[in-house]
Amino acid sequence: MEHIITVKNLVNRFGDQVVHDGLSLDVRRDEILGVVGGSGSGKSVLMRSILGLQKPSSGFITVMGQKIEYNKPGPSRCWGVLFQGGALLSGLNVQENVELPIALHSDMPVETRHELASLKLLMVGLSLSVADKYPSELSGGMRKRVSLARALALEPKILFLDEPTAGLDPIAATAFDELITYLHDNLDLTIMMITHDVDSLFGICNRIAVLVDGGIVVGTTQEILDSEHPWIESYFGVPRAQRAFEAAGEAHNG
Amino acid sequence: MSNAYLSVEGQPGKLLVRVRNDWIFDNVLALEEATATVLPEAGQEVTFQCAGLQDIDIAGAWVLYDCSGRLSSMGIKSEFTGFKAAHFKFLQHIIDAAAIREYEQPPEQAERPNRLREAVEDIGRVTSSNIEDLGEIARVILDGVRRPSLIIIGETIKQIYQTGVQAIPVVMVITFLIGIVTAHQASGQLEKFGAIVLVVDLVSISITREMGVLLAAIMVAGRSGSAFAAALGVMKLNEEVDAMRVLGLNPNQMLVIPRVLGLMIALPVLTIFADIAGIAGGALIAIGTLGIGGMQFIERVAYSTDLADFYVGLVKAPVFALLIATIATLRGMQVKSSAEELGLKTTMAVVQSIFMIIVADAFFATLFTRMGI
Repeated sequence: MEHIITVKNLVNRFGDQVVHDGLSLDVRRDEILGVVGGSGSGKSVLMRSILGLQKPSSGFITVMGQKIEYNKPGPSRCWGVLFQGGALLSGLNVQENVELPIALHSDMPVETRHELASLKLLMVGLSLSVADKYPSELSGGMRKRVSLARALALEPKILFLDEPTAGLDPIAATAFDELITYLHDNLDLTIMMITHDVDSLFGICNRIAVLVDGGIVVGTTQEILDSEHPWIESYFGVPRAQRAFEAAGEAHNG
Repeated sequence: MSNAYLSVEGQPGKLLVRVRNDWIFDNVLALEEATATVLPEAGQEVTFQCAGLQDIDIAGAWVLYDCSGRLSSMGIKSEFTGFKAAHFKFLQHIIDAAAIREYEQPPEQAERPNRLREAVEDIGRVTSSNIEDLGEIARVILDGVRRPSLIIIGETIKQIYQTGVQAIPVVMVITFLIGIVTAHQASGQLEKFGAIVLVVDLVSISITREMGVLLAAIMVAGRSGSAFAAALGVMKLNEEVDAMRVLGLNPNQMLVIPRVLGLMIALPVLTIFADIAGIAGGALIAIGTLGIGGMQFIERVAYSTDLADFYVGLVKAPVFALLIATIATLRGMQVKSSAEELGLKTTMAVVQSIFMIIVADAFFATLFTRMGI
């Protein structure tokens, strides 16, 4: 099986605090990998390291065969990132936010660029009437959709999602999960998703990576549930997680 | 004809377009050029044969769809055949999106702009927003002092330190330099009249009455005005101001009043330092290069400049401080939504407070002249 992201022996240290201690992870092509872990277990640090936004203390990371180095331009054509708060540029309107990466990375004519950006907005389920609004005029859920449209603007192969459903109401969160599944099925995307939402974890992820003790435990949902690690047991042992797992099972079977 | 992305075969009444290679984002420009060559004769139908397609993505599928759309607007039917399932889903996206777009209302035609009307409206808007700002300042200050409390003392002292004490070196250096500049300029002119000793009068009067306080105020407007607006603006963006309000703290009292008070104390003190440094700068030139003796310089300062001149300068300082602090905190508090707005309001804070300082200074100059001071 092809590995689209490879992390080898990643160490991240902040002062005395060791966040990652020799962490290794392979992300397979076309999978949705969910990343969970307690506060301070280094979920965001892992993602930032992969994106080249964080200088690891040591370790080796490649994405699509390209070595990732801190502050060097990475394979930005192949990946799209949905940051937790959306991270839309507040000085640009929705249309301009989505067009920006296209304008930066291609020489296509303005009308084509405009059309493609509108298309991405429609794909993520937004009405074109939001196109000339500014990020500050949008609700949290809409901001995330616009941010997703921007992440998809360059037809990426990999999508990084940082807590995509955090701060959304259950209906919007379910809709967002469906959107991600739809895009994954239709666009040949590999998705790495940090989430605390057990519904999306069981509902849409193929594999789950749990960050514990500076390392990582990766497996299918069932393998993770069978794990005897105390933190994993307590995380997935709570009633919420149990109910979500049962619900996801029913959805799969029914 | 044919190229890297498609080949066209003409058949009677029909045009067969074989689509091949990679129809992807990177090639969009070439793809558009390629599809522009597909121009059937009237009455022909077009078939896109897509079996030779290597790879396609949304951008490529859009170019294909757009081509068929343009054909249909010319009244020519077109169809797609031979799509692999994995490839067709990209085209399906576009077709779905186009269907959604059909539902959406076309945007309303914008009214033709009326320049004169817009100009008049702009003047009205600026005027009314300035009046609103004045009212807002009054409201904030009244709200801040309504229930006096001693908690603001600590914050006020911090503000005095940051806006006053920390600004002493830079204010002294610039007024020292301006003292030197004034002495040089004056000596060149007064030498012609043999009245070189009057350089001392000119430096000491202009520094104490005008330059000292003006330079200190402008420096503070740039230094602390921007800091006030930016700090309060970020607090607004982080919802800290809202948090204070729901905790029962009055942000006007906790944030605005200490800054206003602190600056009104700090700026007069800074002015005294500025006066001293400015006269020292004048003294350096007068004694060093113009041959005026040290004692002579001091006597001349004492003779020409009385305490009234010093007070004329000093009395303006709290007024300037009030202008800087109220304008800067008002602009900071007006930040609502975006980082862009924060920059805009910070710029406004600095520009408007310096503008108002100069306006107020001109007012004072006229007033004091009329009063004969």
